[in-house]
Amino acid sequence: MTLQTLTKPWEPMSYGFLDGSAKREIRRKMIKAIAVPGCQMPYASREVPMARGWGTGGLQVSLTLVNPAMRVKVIDQGADDSVNAASIRRFIARVAGTPTTMDTLEADLIQSRHRIPEEVLREDQVLVLQVPNPEPLRPVQPNMSIARQMHADADYGRMWLQLYEQIVRSGRVMQGASYPSLVHGRHVMTPSPIPRWDVPKLHMAKHLTILSAGREKRIFAVPPFTRVEPLVFSDVPYKVEDHAGLTCHRSGTRGFFMNEIPQDDGSSVFEVSDSEWGVKAIRRRDGEEVALGETWYKNGKMPS
Amino acid sequence: MAYVATRGGERAIEQSQRLFKAEMGEITPERVAEIRAAMPYLIDRVMGEASLYDEDLAALALAQTGGELYEAVLLLRAWRTTQPRIAVAEPVTQEGLFTHRRISAAFKDIPGGQVLGPTMDYAHRILATEVLDGQVHRPDPVEPAARPSPARQPSVAAWQAENGLLTGAVPDKTVGNDIPDVTREPLLFPAKRAHTLQSLARAETGGVLALGYAAQRGYGQAHPTVNELRLAEAEIVVTHPRGTQFSAGRVKVSQAEVVDKKGDGLRLGFAATLGWNEVKVIAAATLDLNAEGAPKGAPTEEEFFLYHTEGVESSGFCIHFKLPHYVTFQSSLDAMRDAKAQKAAKEKSPEPAE
Repeated sequence: MTLQTLTKPWEPMSYGFLDGSAKREIRRKMIKAIAVPGCQMPYASREVPMARGWGTGGLQVSLTLVNPAMRVKVIDQGADDSVNAASIRRFIARVAGTPTTMDTLEADLIQSRHRIPEEVLREDQVLVLQVPNPEPLRPVQPNMSIARQMHADADYGRMWLQLYEQIVRSGRVMQGASYPSLVHGRHVMTPSPIPRWDVPKLHMAKHLTILSAGREKRIFAVPPFTRVEPLVFSDVPYKVEDHAGLTCHRSGTRGFFMNEIPQDDGSSVFEVSDSEWGVKAIRRRDGEEVALGETWYKNGKMPS
Repeated sequence: MAYVATRGGERAIEQSQRLFKAEMGEITPERVAEIRAAMPYLIDRVMGEASLYDEDLAALALAQTGGELYEAVLLLRAWRTTQPRIAVAEPVTQEGLFTHRRISAAFKDIPGGQVLGPTMDYAHRILATEVLDGQVHRPDPVEPAARPSPARQPSVAAWQAENGLLTGAVPDKTVGNDIPDVTREPLLFPAKRAHTLQSLARAETGGVLALGYAAQRGYGQAHPTVNELRLAEAEIVVTHPRGTQFSAGRVKVSQAEVVDKKGDGLRLGFAATLGWNEVKVIAAATLDLNAEGAPKGAPTEEEFFLYHTEGVESSGFCIHFKLPHYVTFQSSLDAMRDAKAQKAAKEKSPEPAE
């Protein structure tokens, strides 16, 4: 035996950047995460050629899942053309040779920062959400060891108390994005900082959602057809952002989550946050034949 | 297409990188060699934080990033993590280190002697401005001592343990791939001893200093005495598949032992890192000294200081705030406006008094 036989010929980079041992660990942790929905699984979280906090958790999952036949879509705050989304998409394509797309309907794998596309995802699609802070208990318990114990005990009293205090102080639940949600009736998770608008899309969804926090080294998952219920009191219903009545000033599409664009005259206009949905709406308006998928929200309402 | 120029982002990225690189000019093998030769302490710091001992790669990382230290460390870490672990070296012991510098503040003299070695501790920090006027600053040649100090020396803690002043650490018999590796496993708490020492070895110097200094100033329970500070070279002994052991080379290491009295004995804090970085190991050993029994949430608590001195993670998270956050912001605005509107409506039509 020689040292040579123990190693492979030198290559500057493995397929999909991560080496075999890193991918194997992530696969194992993803399976565990799927087996216990909403429960955070610690993983080594390797460094990738991007700064921590810039989607490195999502990226590691995407790099583990991709193969050259998978079509990849990457969005940031709903937009495919956002610089960091462009950077991640370019990196995945470069190291894994994957085709890319902006159309939700064409994508096999969607890596997203803080949005779920407006078109309904199918069984064969995987959504990878980037997670800055995987711990829903962080605002009430910054120490991770204690928080872990609280999850084990399903000790969510302080979560409820926090929501109750918000109602008492401000008249409503003040949580913006990252609305804490109970998964499969057992673990409270953060859905990542998606707006409240997007949380119902996770409930009993057909697709698999994997949430990965690179910096904090945690993976968790919402398997298909799993209950995801925002924490609410029975007499104070869950409230999504009041965007149902807003119209996109560029595409004319209405009843979806919007970006507010402040104007010089003090007013605001709105544009649809799911940028490719907006693009497709414009192209259809201009007479092109464009396939528009079914949307989760219909006329600004999520059918229950 | 009537919507945004969807590829615009990628073009902008490309040009912004060109702009950054234009500032630095060509990166040549000569430049890399010069950085390596001229800045050994910077190279050491970067190698320690990257936990990758390769002076050429460290110099290249510095050249490529224009000296942006966080970026240089990230470059090296991202490269390191993809490399296979082909062997595990034999443990490096304190008494086996080829020692260049070893001082103790605890005793006037110690077995093996106080060895100053290379240091600027007692230099007057005056800028050599004559260099800017065209003069070459030539260091005076070193005059060798008549009697060289011993290359290998015992640790001060070992002497203290022999004399019943402190309880020495229980030797860890774990070998080879069974040694926990924080670069291959998540850090969980209470942390494995190996993970703690590895994390401190990889920690960002400034972060360790900030928290270590806080502990030294009084936010810790223990006041450190530098038992021993050592700059040395460690022999990396690996086993060939045929079974023979050989040295794969030497790496520069620094280590610090700090002690504080605890009851009728001393307690020991320890840290070591790749490269020569005195500030880091003294601060890190101070944190180690203070960790035991520190209350949850204190800066001297293990979870607190290990998370917050991780330079790649902390710097990455800090700069991530540059990314757009308009969706999250919009979501908060919506809740705020609604709460405000509800409040206004209530004030307009107050409920009748009961």
